[in-house]
Amino acid sequence: MNFLNKLVPQVALEVQQLSKSAIHTSAVCCRVQSGRYRITTKRDRPLTYEMANPPHFIGHRKSWNSWNTSTLKDSLRPSQTAIEDLFIRKFVTGTWHALVSSEIIIKRQHNTIRIAALIRQAISPRKMYFLIGYTEELLSSWMQCPVTLELQTVADKKDVVFKYI
Amino acid sequence: MYLSRHLRLLPKANIARSLNGGGVHYTTASSAAPAEDSPIQIPNRIQRSPTDLLQALAGTVGRDSTAPHYKYHDDPFLIPMSNAAKRTYAMSKESGRKAAQWIKEEHRDLFLHHEAQPAIEKFAPSMVFTEDSQVDETSLSQLISQGELKDAVLVYSLLEKKGVAISSDLKQSLLELVCFYNNEDPLPEEWIEERWFLQNNRRRERSGKTWKDGDLAEKLYSEIEPKTPESYAALIRGMAKYLQGERAFALLQEAAEKRIQLDTNTYNSIIQIVSLLKDTAEQRWQLCTDLLQEMSQQKLRPNIGTLNAVLECISTFGNFKLARTAALKVLPEFKQLGVNPSLGTYYYLLIIFCRERGPVSHIIVDILNDIGGKELSIVHPKDTYFFATAMDVCRNHLHDKSLAKKVDALLHTGKNYDLIGDSFKESIYYRNFLALLCQTETIEDFMQTYDQLVPNIYIPEPGIMEEILRAVEINGAVEHVPRIWSDMVVFDHTHRESLLLYVLRIMVNNKPSTDSPAHQQLPEQCAKVALDMYEKVEEAVKRLRKVSFTGQMLGDILTLLVRGDNFEKATEVFAHIDKNQHRIPGTPSETALQEFVEASIQNKSPSQALTALQYAVDNNMESSTLARRIHNGFTLNETHLAKLKSLVGESFLEK
Repeated sequence: MNFLNKLVPQVALEVQQLSKSAIHTSAVCCRVQSGRYRITTKRDRPLTYEMANPPHFIGHRKSWNSWNTSTLKDSLRPSQTAIEDLFIRKFVTGTWHALVSSEIIIKRQHNTIRIAALIRQAISPRKMYFLIGYTEELLSSWMQCPVTLELQTVADKKDVVFKYI
Repeated sequence: MYLSRHLRLLPKANIARSLNGGGVHYTTASSAAPAEDSPIQIPNRIQRSPTDLLQALAGTVGRDSTAPHYKYHDDPFLIPMSNAAKRTYAMSKESGRKAAQWIKEEHRDLFLHHEAQPAIEKFAPSMVFTEDSQVDETSLSQLISQGELKDAVLVYSLLEKKGVAISSDLKQSLLELVCFYNNEDPLPEEWIEERWFLQNNRRRERSGKTWKDGDLAEKLYSEIEPKTPESYAALIRGMAKYLQGERAFALLQEAAEKRIQLDTNTYNSIIQIVSLLKDTAEQRWQLCTDLLQEMSQQKLRPNIGTLNAVLECISTFGNFKLARTAALKVLPEFKQLGVNPSLGTYYYLLIIFCRERGPVSHIIVDILNDIGGKELSIVHPKDTYFFATAMDVCRNHLHDKSLAKKVDALLHTGKNYDLIGDSFKESIYYRNFLALLCQTETIEDFMQTYDQLVPNIYIPEPGIMEEILRAVEINGAVEHVPRIWSDMVVFDHTHRESLLLYVLRIMVNNKPSTDSPAHQQLPEQCAKVALDMYEKVEEAVKRLRKVSFTGQMLGDILTLLVRGDNFEKATEVFAHIDKNQHRIPGTPSETALQEFVEASIQNKSPSQALTALQYAVDNNMESSTLARRIHNGFTLNETHLAKLKSLVGESFLEK
C-alpha cells in the first residue's frame, strides 16, 4: 500500500484506522441463510414439511438426509461418501425428471445403499419400473455395491405441500 | 449412571446384597449344580458357510400372501393387479437394468474405477475383443471358463488366423462349450425375470431340429486328432440336445465300431431321443434295451439321467399296455442299482400312467406316500415339471380334492417351492388347483382358499373365473358376487360377454331373501354391480371393444336395478333399451319387463309402464298380462287409457 501513502495522505490515514479495528467491533455477520427459504411477496412458494423446518430442527422435527457412519471417529471415506451422496441426489433428480417431490434420503448399511424418495404419479407404473431398474443397476455399477430404491408415490404434487410462504 | 439410578430404586437391604455379590445368585448356575461331576462337553465346531446365517433367518419367513411378490415395489400405485401387469412390471424393471448395462458398456471408460477391494469383476464393464486384440491361449481358456461363447469363438478364430497352435485340451473344452450352446449365445443368467416369463414361447419352438449342421462344432471336432472319447461324447451330446437324432446315433455307432469307451451321460442323451430314431413303440423299446445292454457291456453305471431318459422314451409309446409294463420293469431294476428317483422320474410316471384315454391309475397316491413331507432338491432338468403335472392329474384324471391338498402341502414344504418351474407352470398349477377346489369344496371353504391365493399369488384367468362363478351359482351363494365382481373389474375380465352374462344370471336367479340379516344389503349391492357393469359396457362400446349389449344382459341389469330400488337408473337403462332396440340383438326377458312395470306402478309412473308395454308389443312379446297389470295398478287418465287401448285393443278391459 505504499503507493497509497505517497499519493493521498488522507486515504493512508483511513487505511491505518481500518487495520486497527478488531474482529469484535466489525459488522455483524451471524445471519444464517442455508437451508431456509425466503418468504415470497405473494406467499405462494410451496414448502414440504422438511423444507418448512430450518436446519436447527434436524433431530427434533425432521431427520437427516444421509444416514451413514463415515463421519464417526476413525471411520473410512468421509469425503467420498459426501461426494457420492451428492452424485446420487443429482442422478436421481435428473433421471426421475420433475418427478421427485421430496428430499432424497440415502441410507448406507454395510455394503448396501438404500435410496428413499417420494415420487409423483405422473408416469405409468410400467415406466416407473423401468426407471427403478435403470437407477438401481447404474448406480450399483457406479458405486460398486448393491443399491436399492425404496420409493413411495404420491398422487398429486400438492399432497406433499406443508405450507406456502 | 444406569447403575446409580437402579441403586436408588432398590430398597437398602437389597443394595447390600447385590453389591457384595455373595448372597443369592439369580443365575442358572445354582440350579445346575447337581450335575457337577459330569465333564463339560464342548461340541465340535460346525463349519458354516458365509450365507448360513442369512439362510437360517430367511427360513423363518414364508411367502406373505397378503403382500405382492417382493420383486414388485411395495406401493399401491406400483402393485400389479392383473396377470398382464405382473408380467410387464417385472419385465420393464429388468429392461431398465438392461439399459443401464448398455450405458455401462457404451461408456466403459467411465466405469473403470475400483471402489471395492478386492475389485469385483461383475461391476466392471466386460472385455471387448475385436479383430486386432492381442490374444493368446490363456485368454481363450479364461473365456471358456466364464462361458462367454461369442467372445471365445472370436478369440479362437483370431488365434487360428495368427497361426497359433492351440492345445487339444483347449480345443476340447471349446468344443464342449459350442456343443452345449449350439454356437448360440445363451440368455445371461442375470435376467431372472426374462427366464421366469420366457417358457411360454419356447414351448412352441421345440420339436424341430435346431442343430447347426457343418458349423463350428463339427469343424472343431474334425480338427481334433486322434479322436478322443471326450470329443465323441461332446459332439453326440450336442447333436442329441438339439435333436439331430440320426447323426448323433450314427456317431454313437461309429464310436462303438472303433471301440471307443463312451460315458453314461452320452448314452443318456441318445436314449432321450430314441423316439426320433424309431417310429413304433416296439422298435423304440427294442432300441432302448439294446442301448442299455451296450452300457452294461461297457460296464457303465447308469444314473438318474439314464432312468429319466428311459422313462421319457417310454412316455412316447402310443401303446399304453407296453408303456406300463416297460415302466414297471424299469423301476425295480434301477432301484436295485441304487438310483433314487427324482421328481422328474415321477413326472414321467404320471404322464405314462395317467393318460387321458387310458384307465384310471392311482399311482400318484404311491408317489405322494413316497415323497410326502420331504424337502426335495433339483437333480434333473425335468424335475420342475412335476408339480404342474401332478395337480393336473389330481384335477382331470382323479378329481380328488384330498390328493390335491397333499400335493399342495408338498409344494409348500421347505424349499420345494423353488421347483415350481416358471410363471407358466405356476399358473397351470394354480389354475388346476383352484378349478378342482371350486368343484369339490363347499363355497365357504373355497372362498377361504381364494382369499389366500388371489390376487398376490395367482390371478384367475377368465376360464377359471367362469368355473368359480359356476360354483357360486350351484351354491346359490349370491353374497359372494359383489366381491368377485370387484375382482373381475380389477383383473380386467369385464369385456368377456360370457362372464358378464354369468354374473347377471346368478344375481337375477338368486333373489336375495330380505329375512336373513346377511342378505339385507344385497339387493342394493347387486344393483350397484349391475350399474357398474352397465357403465363399463357403455364405455367399452364407445371404445369399439368387442363386448356389446344384448337384450338379455340389459334385461337382467334392469331387473337388478329395480330390485335395488334404483328406479331412476332403471328408467335410464330402459330408455336405452327402447331407443336402441334395432341395434341390440335379442330382447329382455318378459319377467324383467314385468318387474319393471311393477316398479313403475310403485313409483306411480304410468308413462314408463306404457313405454314398456309399447316395447313389448313392438317386439311381439306377451303383452296382455302387462296390459292387465297396468290397467289394474294405475288409475289411468284419458290419454293413457287411449294409448293402452291403441296398443292392445279393448279386449282385455272386459275381463
